[in-house]
Amino acid sequence: MEPIVVVGSGASGVHFALTALRKGRRVLMLDVGHTARGTVRPSDSLNELKKNLPDPIDYFLGSRYESLVLPGGHGEYYAFPPTKQHVFKKPAGFQHRASGFNPIYSFAAGGLAEAWTGGCYPFTARELNKFPFSYEELAPYYAKVAENIGINGADDDLTSVFGWQGDLMKPLDLDDHASLLLDTYKRHRTVLKEKFGCSMGRARCAALSKELPNRKACSYCGRCLWGCPSGAFYTPSLTLDECRTYPNFQYIPGLYVDHFRMDNSGKAKTVVASSAKGEIQEFAADSLVLAAGTLCSAKIFLESIYRNTAETPELRGVMDNRQILMPFVNLRLLGRKWNPNSYQYHQIAIAVENANEHLHGLVTTLKTALIHPLVQTLPFDLGTAVSVFRNIHGALGMVNINLSDERREENHVKLDVTTTPHRLSIQYRAKPDEPQRLKRAISTYRKILRKLGCFAPSRTVHIRPMGSSVHYAGTLPMQSTRVPLTCSKYGRSHDVENLYFADGSTFPELPAKNITLTLMANATRIAEEAF
Amino acid sequence: MNNTSQLERECHTYTQYLIGQSPSPYVVNRYLDFHQKSDAVRASGFDAFDRFLVSLSARRPFWAGMADSYASVFRKDSVVRKKLVVTLALLECAASSFEALDDVQGLSLAATIFQLSWRALRYSLLLGASVLVFTPVRIVTSLSLKPRALPVLER
Repeated sequence: MEPIVVVGSGASGVHFALTALRKGRRVLMLDVGHTARGTVRPSDSLNELKKNLPDPIDYFLGSRYESLVLPGGHGEYYAFPPTKQHVFKKPAGFQHRASGFNPIYSFAAGGLAEAWTGGCYPFTARELNKFPFSYEELAPYYAKVAENIGINGADDDLTSVFGWQGDLMKPLDLDDHASLLLDTYKRHRTVLKEKFGCSMGRARCAALSKELPNRKACSYCGRCLWGCPSGAFYTPSLTLDECRTYPNFQYIPGLYVDHFRMDNSGKAKTVVASSAKGEIQEFAADSLVLAAGTLCSAKIFLESIYRNTAETPELRGVMDNRQILMPFVNLRLLGRKWNPNSYQYHQIAIAVENANEHLHGLVTTLKTALIHPLVQTLPFDLGTAVSVFRNIHGALGMVNINLSDERREENHVKLDVTTTPHRLSIQYRAKPDEPQRLKRAISTYRKILRKLGCFAPSRTVHIRPMGSSVHYAGTLPMQSTRVPLTCSKYGRSHDVENLYFADGSTFPELPAKNITLTLMANATRIAEEAF
Repeated sequence: MNNTSQLERECHTYTQYLIGQSPSPYVVNRYLDFHQKSDAVRASGFDAFDRFLVSLSARRPFWAGMADSYASVFRKDSVVRKKLVVTLALLECAASSFEALDDVQGLSLAATIFQLSWRALRYSLLLGASVLVFTPVRIVTSLSLKPRALPVLER
């Protein structure tokens, strides 16, 4: 019997594979699989790295200064560090065309979640309303994933918003700023709840507060943004490493899967992939699982349909979370010293649930991010800006606000066959009421922050381009009825009998939150129940 | 003055201006290396006025402040601003200079607000002075001088 062929080693792919391997199935994983350079000086803190590395600028900015953000640049407050550039490196010849959408792809071992921020937020029963299964069916898989990856969090006001509580590790230590924000919230909890529908509490993060086999607990070294040196922070490459310990697992990196061939009965017969040198390889497949991420899975599927039928269908309903970055200053912390040795991603979360909208805000207090992208945005000369920044650094924070999205016919991906090689074409149009939604969200969070003693200057609020959140979903949604270009509740294609989708392609809706935990839980569910 | 000397001078002046220290030889080498490898200060439509701002700002930290104040409002994407951001980015990654950037006095809230207000006022005054100095120069250079490349190192 041929192995299950899995394409892609991201959060979905590795959780599908691990579950199938544990069931005794043979798995062949095909992947481009770009990898990071090795971890340097794992016991050093961030500032020790600056002192001890022979060439710290190479480490922090890159040998070609690729992480330097200059005036007139992309307008983001962060640059991806050189240590994570491999996450976004594309194979030669890979092309796309996009309108109204700024897609980000990953061909790394571990996929896009190699550069995620660790937010683990289950979908609630309400948010799974359009899925063809109930919350109760998914909940056990949230627990399995939590057991695998280690999630920390607390039972607090956000428990009612997040639903599933599960077996969480105790939360990581808060830094002074996050601690002050939570204390202030507790004093104003009733007003914030009544006026804005606001709940605030500890973020749920895939970072270890206690040791697991082969992984250390967080040491608060401050290096999160540059890649956790101890494995305390979860990335899918850790699960890929675990998969590789199974004798029934074969991982072949260095291959870009282009399409699959079908036999006369319409089943996927072989998977066609090419190496960096252009050598074509073909792999027999009894069952094929596409877990290359929503857009790359769409590309493989559409290319295969075109090659086998000469048709170029549109996959409608592509979704992503619109995100707003809102920097703020906590006025009570002006001029205060701060500690760089702390957990750098989200320590607290602010959910807003009211009649208009459900919003999800993740708060980070920005201690060890490079400062030059932010300093240059201050309304002064750089000399003054440096002096001002020094005094507001400990008081700075950023809320990353997520808005929900829904499948709409006008947003689609299709294959553009007019170019060689063929390319993915993506079209996205925001809903007409989006400006009002954004305005309301910005206004609500600014008022909440004001109540928390913080000031969020309106000119620094940044509405990220659609595609920036990388929460892509909805192109081949799960549904109960057998309709072309959809899949079953087990991710099984309604078009190709032995083809499965195990990534965000299958989500029929996209709530306002990080989807990675649900991607992992759903892939685990599919492997457990369909294989 | 050759290109290398000019760039070294820029790096020294900008570092003095930003953190009140001299740059380490490592930072200076990296500043030169950046100009060798990056097109950012080569390809961005600089003109005679840009060239003038860079040349003047490299003379003394005071002039760097004047040029930067003017650029912070009227030439946000100018070459002088880019060079200053490059210097800042290098300094924040290197030993000793990152500590100068992170160093907080830990003053009381009132003292901090006073200090911030003073810095803002000083900036306003410098901005006003820079407008008086640079506006005529900008007009003259736009009428008379043709664009020329800024110093870069051969790749």
